[in-house]
Amino acid sequence: MIRKLLFVTKFEELGYDAVKSLLSLREVSLEHVVFMYVIERDKVAFRRGVGYQKSEELRLKESANIRFIDWAERLFEIGMEVGVYIQVGSMAAEVAKAVAREEADLVVIGRSQKSLLEQFYSGSTVTELVRRLSVPVLVYKPVPDNPFAFGKPFQRPLLATDWSPASRRAVDYLIAIKPLVEEVRVVNVVDEERISGDSVMQAQLARKDAKARLEEICGRLQAAGIPARSHVYVGRPAEGVEKAARECQATMVVLGSSSKNRWVERWIGSVPREIAESSAFPTLLIAPERD
Amino acid sequence: MGKRVLVVDDDPDVRVFNTTVLEEHGYSPEEAVNGEEALQAIRAAPPDLVVLDVLMPRQSGIRLYRALKTDPALQAVRIIVMSGIARASFLKSQQALAEFDGRPVPEPECYLEKPVDAEVLAAAVKKAIG
Repeated sequence: MIRKLLFVTKFEELGYDAVKSLLSLREVSLEHVVFMYVIERDKVAFRRGVGYQKSEELRLKESANIRFIDWAERLFEIGMEVGVYIQVGSMAAEVAKAVAREEADLVVIGRSQKSLLEQFYSGSTVTELVRRLSVPVLVYKPVPDNPFAFGKPFQRPLLATDWSPASRRAVDYLIAIKPLVEEVRVVNVVDEERISGDSVMQAQLARKDAKARLEEICGRLQAAGIPARSHVYVGRPAEGVEKAARECQATMVVLGSSSKNRWVERWIGSVPREIAESSAFPTLLIAPERD
Repeated sequence: MGKRVLVVDDDPDVRVFNTTVLEEHGYSPEEAVNGEEALQAIRAAPPDLVVLDVLMPRQSGIRLYRALKTDPALQAVRIIVMSGIARASFLKSQQALAEFDGRPVPEPECYLEKPVDAEVLAAAVKKAIG
């Protein structure tokens, strides 16, 4: 159940229209939205000749506060509970603190604005968040092909599975939000390297194996009353998932996040991170179970 | 010792401002940083007055106000709402919640929209509890 949602925004990427599009979650118990704005330290940091930029901090805080008051009034008026955090610090650390303090069930965050180089040096916010949190993280974006509209993200999710424990948790999650889900497409992308031999048989075996496992997942979803279909793709995982999402007219990509440590992810990359950062679709990352 | 006033606000600057005004006028201020903490404090020892913010972490002033006004043991606690949230939104919110649970609550006796001058706050407190 999603009772409390932490909505993290820098305003340029996620506005009130994004909040509004998530209110369908009230059908699955959403009653409390907590808004959060984190002023990254370097925006107000000490600079030679200027000192700590207190007035800039105040300006940013007050601008955020005014926006949040407006949003909060609209949600209060429909009977929802609302809270606000405006903090200076590191995004991932502050979000993790707020999640713990509020006991939030879902974190919604916009796509990172950092360049690949910045992400390499300072780390990706999404990667850091997923590493720190056990609650799902929705990297939210407008609907593909229309940067000005947020749709119904939970209507037709594409569940991309790599058979990991986190992927299995993603199935449970979709079952828990069943009233919002019209249909699920379940996809596995078979790595090209697995079928790069000379034998046609090898490729067909890989497909058959994946299809059988996908059908098991579809069976679980169908048993819970959610229509589901399976698809096998071949190629690079992130590209395959994107292609599948487009072909299935998905409204969101759902996937289990890896449990690699941060240095491994920084050097060799991570499929969930790549999809979350580069996909045109909203991406829901389900963390593996914490010990 | 003056009458006890519980200041409920997540903003430390606002708490300092309010408690200073209250002390200067002879009251004994106490503090809570959100609705949840305030409710515990009020249940433990009901104050003479609560100066209540609305938009706060953990539990908003809207839910705290409702909790107090629907609890026979606490509904006599006087409340001044002091918030950036418009009074109209506060009232609509209470109406929406009342439709849901069938328990209407009275309108706040005093609603101050931030920012509030020291004199205005002091006058409102004096009017509420003397």
